[in-house]
Amino acid sequence: MAADAATVATPPVPRRSSHARRGGLKAAERRFGMLLLVPALVAFCGVILLPFAKALGLSLFKYTIDMDGPEFIGLGNFARVLGDAAVRGSFVTTLVFVGLTTACSIFLGLVWALIMNQPFRGQSALRGVSLLPWIMPATVAAFLWGWIFNARFGLINAASLQLGLIDFPVAWLSTPYGAMAAVVITKTWLSIPLFMAFFLAGLQSMDQEQIDAARADGAQNWDVLKDHVIPHLRPVLLVTVVLGVIGNLQHFDTIWALTAGGPVRATTVLSVQVYRLAFEQWDIGMAATVGVLWVATIMPPAYFYLRHLMKGVE
Amino acid sequence: MLKTVKKVALLGMTSMLVMQASTSAAADVDFMNWSSTEEVNKPRIKAMEESFTKATGLTVNSIGYAWGEMVKNAFLRGRTNTLPDVMQVQARLLPTIAGINGIVDLNQVYGQKNLEAMFPPAMLAFGNVDGKQVALPWIGGTIGMVANKAVLAKAGIDSPPATVADFRNALIKIRDKVPNSVPYGMATKNNNSIVLDYMIWVWTFGGDIVTNGKPVVDSKEATAALKFMADLVKDRLAAPEIDRPDARRLFGQEASGFYFDPPIARTFAVDFSGKGPSYGANVLPMFTPTLAAGGTPTSIQWGHVISIFGAKNAKPDSPAAKFAMHLLSKDTLVDYASFSGVLPSTTAGQADPKIANDSYLATWAKHAGTPRRNTLASLSNGAAVANVIGEEVQAAVLGQKTAEVAARDMQARMVKAMAAAN
Repeated sequence: MAADAATVATPPVPRRSSHARRGGLKAAERRFGMLLLVPALVAFCGVILLPFAKALGLSLFKYTIDMDGPEFIGLGNFARVLGDAAVRGSFVTTLVFVGLTTACSIFLGLVWALIMNQPFRGQSALRGVSLLPWIMPATVAAFLWGWIFNARFGLINAASLQLGLIDFPVAWLSTPYGAMAAVVITKTWLSIPLFMAFFLAGLQSMDQEQIDAARADGAQNWDVLKDHVIPHLRPVLLVTVVLGVIGNLQHFDTIWALTAGGPVRATTVLSVQVYRLAFEQWDIGMAATVGVLWVATIMPPAYFYLRHLMKGVE
Repeated sequence: MLKTVKKVALLGMTSMLVMQASTSAAADVDFMNWSSTEEVNKPRIKAMEESFTKATGLTVNSIGYAWGEMVKNAFLRGRTNTLPDVMQVQARLLPTIAGINGIVDLNQVYGQKNLEAMFPPAMLAFGNVDGKQVALPWIGGTIGMVANKAVLAKAGIDSPPATVADFRNALIKIRDKVPNSVPYGMATKNNNSIVLDYMIWVWTFGGDIVTNGKPVVDSKEATAALKFMADLVKDRLAAPEIDRPDARRLFGQEASGFYFDPPIARTFAVDFSGKGPSYGANVLPMFTPTLAAGGTPTSIQWGHVISIFGAKNAKPDSPAAKFAMHLLSKDTLVDYASFSGVLPSTTAGQADPKIANDSYLATWAKHAGTPRRNTLASLSNGAAVANVIGEEVQAAVLGQKTAEVAARDMQARMVKAMAAAN
């Protein structure tokens, strides 16, 4: 009887779901979200984080391919890099290449987007054709431009000789300015379609009535561009600048195929320098050091870009 | 579902392991080489491997890497204990390869006396590093100057020039009489190519690049050689943007009168001329011009050698040792050498009528002058040093620096680069 009373007095324990036991539905969703991230995290760690950590470690070692193992030298490689005028020059060359290429790509991409935003016959076809450089492999583009600039058989020399502008063929790729111009032009040509697409998307979200109103108030083309179009495109402009800087800082294939970093060192940007050290001179420690400094130069724009993206998400 | 996935994964892994095991078990000899990656040589290498299998019943697994990737991959394989049994090596890079643990002293495999009987002394020396016979010579020759008879005729030049002054005059004649030509296909692009031209001219002018382990490129002689090279470009007797492949093409298309190459120059000229084998008669091996008449012409030793790795292969009856001997057997070697237009390494091969009656090869051997070993070959960081030399020579020939400044800068950078290696 007493036992029966006790049984009756105890309220039945409600059956709870496994999610509730571990912090409720929200927590379960969070855990599930984290679980979905695992493959990406594993890939990130395996492909980016671990190699980078290893490179970071190797930058503190002397390690050439003929050595049995790395030899710890602390910051010795960094001292060598900073004391080597040739490597320091690569930083300057990189800045010149990134600055010129990013500026030219954005300016021409914007101009082309403005043209492509105008209604005219064949506009859609021309937009499609405009994307061709973007889908072309960079090395193919480099060889194409290599022939255009070629001293003996190039289009530029042939035209210049025909027009009487030069008496003898000019070896454009053998002058520091000519080679830099060639790599900048080639990379710009490859980048214009992407930036055009960004700007075109931005332009199509623009309120046409705003422009019509400005024109009704007497605004000329330049005024419309300066006071309405550019301010409207400012967020797109920001993203394209940052993306352009990051992409050009990492760029390698076109430069290698077109000039291999020459003549002398005129187009030896950081990516080419790392390649030469690692795969031509087999100085892994020095290559890792330049690579670490190279990543350090990419970090600020990448951080800026990611912060901008996150703000957009919030 | 999970069980099925596990089963499939297990099955896949097992079959991969079995395949891997069967592949490595199938081959008796791993032969690492670059020639099988070259379209023109691929069938030749395959034929040599097949004839070996036919003769011995042993199989060969050809591991092909691009020429420029060979040294790097040899070291990487050394580190991971996956060295091949037999490897093709560029003779000038042998001192670097000789540092890999596991390379076999071939005197102990075949016997020094036997090797001395098999090869002429100069050829056998190709495979010797610090008294150790770490390789056997395969094909050889020198990197020397060739002239195009057809171009010389167009320019009104009767015979190849003997002195540097005559050479310059000949170049001027070609420039003036052969339109749109590059009289001398001097390497002005690609550091590895530039270094060879520079080295020969420095020797010709009486200097050297490294003496007693120290760079001497700012000497009066080396600077004069650099100035000579820079003046050639300035006077349009040589041109920027020329690498060895460009020079070969220009030479075969009669747009260039002279350039430096191994004997294989004839094969390229025939190929690029589009006129068939008869065009080979236009390729004239010549002495490198000397500073004064009667001087000693120079050239660079050139050749491919064969190395063997691994203690298990250090026996004359091992499959690897047998395969190396098969590559050097008279018929196999003579076929390969005569096709490539180069000298076979063995005494018997050189005496074969196919080679002995080849007037081109005989003339080439006669014009080798005094071949010297590539100065940079023995440096552990030869690639870095070659890079420095290439950049500074390029700066001088493209007019970015005077020869004096370039020589001074080259000296300072070489001192630094060589110190960093020690």
